[in-house]
Amino acid sequence: MGIRRPKPAGRRATGTAVGDTGARNHAYDGMQRTKEFTVTPSPAEPAIDRPTVALAMGDPAGVSPELTARLLADDEVRQAAWLVVFGDRRILDEGAKVARVALDIDVVARGASPGPHGRPVLVDLAHLAPAAVRLGEATPVGGAFAIENFRHALAMAQSGQADAVCFTPFNKQAMRYVYPGYDDEIGFVSETIGFHGAAREFNILEGLWNARVTSHIPLAQVAATITTERILAELALADRCLRSAGFAQPRIAVAGLNPHAGDGGNCGTEEIEVIAPAVKAGVERGFNVSGPYPADTVFVRARKGAFDAVLTMYHDQGQIAMKLIGFERGVTLLGGFPFPICTPAHGTAYDIVGQGVANIGASRQALLLAARMARQQRAARSAPQPCPTAA
Amino acid sequence: MRDHPVIAITVGEPAGIGPELVALLGERHRREPFAARLIVVGDAKLLAKRAALAGLAPRYRDYTPAALPPTDGSLEIWHQPVGVPVTPGHPDPSNAPSVLEMLSRAADGCATGAFAALVTAPVQKSVLQDAGIPFSGHTEFFAQRTRTPRVVMMLTGAGTASPLRVALVTTHLALRDVPAAITRAAVEETLRIVARELAAKFGLAAPRIAVCGLNPHAGEGGHLGREEIDVIAPAIAAAVAGGHAVSGPFPADTVFVPAVAQHFDAIVAMYHDQGLPVLKAATFGHGINVTLGLPFIRTSVDHGTALDLAADPVKARQADPGSLIAATRLAIELARRSAGG
Repeated sequence: MGIRRPKPAGRRATGTAVGDTGARNHAYDGMQRTKEFTVTPSPAEPAIDRPTVALAMGDPAGVSPELTARLLADDEVRQAAWLVVFGDRRILDEGAKVARVALDIDVVARGASPGPHGRPVLVDLAHLAPAAVRLGEATPVGGAFAIENFRHALAMAQSGQADAVCFTPFNKQAMRYVYPGYDDEIGFVSETIGFHGAAREFNILEGLWNARVTSHIPLAQVAATITTERILAELALADRCLRSAGFAQPRIAVAGLNPHAGDGGNCGTEEIEVIAPAVKAGVERGFNVSGPYPADTVFVRARKGAFDAVLTMYHDQGQIAMKLIGFERGVTLLGGFPFPICTPAHGTAYDIVGQGVANIGASRQALLLAARMARQQRAARSAPQPCPTAA
Repeated sequence: MRDHPVIAITVGEPAGIGPELVALLGERHRREPFAARLIVVGDAKLLAKRAALAGLAPRYRDYTPAALPPTDGSLEIWHQPVGVPVTPGHPDPSNAPSVLEMLSRAADGCATGAFAALVTAPVQKSVLQDAGIPFSGHTEFFAQRTRTPRVVMMLTGAGTASPLRVALVTTHLALRDVPAAITRAAVEETLRIVARELAAKFGLAAPRIAVCGLNPHAGEGGHLGREEIDVIAPAIAAAVAGGHAVSGPFPADTVFVPAVAQHFDAIVAMYHDQGLPVLKAATFGHGINVTLGLPFIRTSVDHGTALDLAADPVKARQADPGSLIAATRLAIELARRSAGG
């Protein structure tokens, strides 16, 4: 089974990435993209250091500020990554107050270079006063704050200055007030960084990954949308993301489409005609993939440790199972972009804002996953390449 | 003893795990008797042989309807001979007619009142089909046998005060055919049967019923499919107008979360895999399948024939009879309630 690399060769890790960054700086609409992240390689740094994770503060009306403060105070997170937070100092201070943590960070102004590696850094965009925030409400002000933070974090990663992006929960309605085309994170990120490849959402909970072949389409369209090529493409993406998250030979289970996975063709033929051929092709390509399995048992088996990931055919097939297990404790990964993007699966939790009771677990898992994936990507880039091209 | 209901239990596929599960049930009955007279419908010699092979020691005796019920924790065997010798783990289509005969006689015994309820161990559908019998499931078979136009498959867990109950509008249907089968009549009749039987058989005076949508996010206001608006919501409205406490359509991925599900006595799902995985996960292999709408009470295990276990006496001995025990217990409970006990 060949070693697959998440990225093509050509970039060497020197702490901060060097290479094709300048050309990809992306001017996003209406907002000035200064050259605040000019590349400053630091030769003294070891080849594999703590990865840099750009963390965007999410919706200010919910628990995002206190989660951000808690993340900044979390030893495990601080050891796993160098955090560069985008937000507003005053909002973060409010979050720290609610979370009852002291902030041991550096603060730089908008446009300043956040380096060098050291304590976590807040890039203070100074764009939202606490008085303007209506706690527990989705507002345009909150949406604008979250979107600007997210754009800055994405720009930093796109320029190669950050290895991964994380964000604390957004409120989609608030985002739509200021960006009406905001459908989901995948679409927004693709537009913002000008990405035209395939990116997908993965739900990750207690070490179990869920990827899906179709998502937000009517059930009546699912059967016709499932093709061998499509399943194979999703398998390849899942395999790549799992490997970059540290799974050496990720075991991927593919769910069937029909009751009892078609029961040998008595209850639908897609398993025989479409899904099994995709599994077979996946095995031939070196993926540790099996199936199709009946949907009513595949998650039970996965939870017992038989698989690392389940590839489901449609939205509710995976979502019902994951939400039962405790979806909101898990992590959402946007995989397939040039850098990993992770966020807790839960929402803004408007109902408990300001109480200091928000659980940090999912956010910490999101950060640690992003850091782990970033480290793997760096290691893969710095490893000797099998086919060096002549200079 | 006199008021103990008489429960029929079919062994199902003779080459499957059914005979061992019955033996394990028998051991349990011997140790800790169920408050019922348990009649096993199957091949008496095969049952004795398989119990011995697996090193299990249930008490079996021949079923004589007129005899007094046993008091020593015996299961009574109503002998229905297999057609050809059975190799455990390897079903033979030649035995398919005898399997059907077993089911037919048990069902007829329920219909005539000889039995108060029927519990079924798994059959191997594919083997029945290989024998040229158009068999899509126990549920459908009993509906046909009793000329019942619509029955509802409901799954539930055992033992808790407020168990999860999931009823299905469609059952063993290819997913691509599901949307067309979600008609106003199908949803309405399902809701009516569920409401009626929960009241009549489960003793719930005004059952609270939640209905799932068909599409992701229950169609999200028509953006992700229109069946919720065109079909499901009107059917719910009709049920409400009929005096039933029915609500929905709810997104399927949120309604099953315990914090939501606990507010309902039953959740009606649109298709097999919308509801069954939830039950499997919630019941850890001790799920029960109940058929609603039949003229008699019928419960079943929620698992298959486990041929790999059946093939090896050592493994077969360790099979988990939890689902069969739970199904038997529920059949007894429902039978007692119907009898006014």
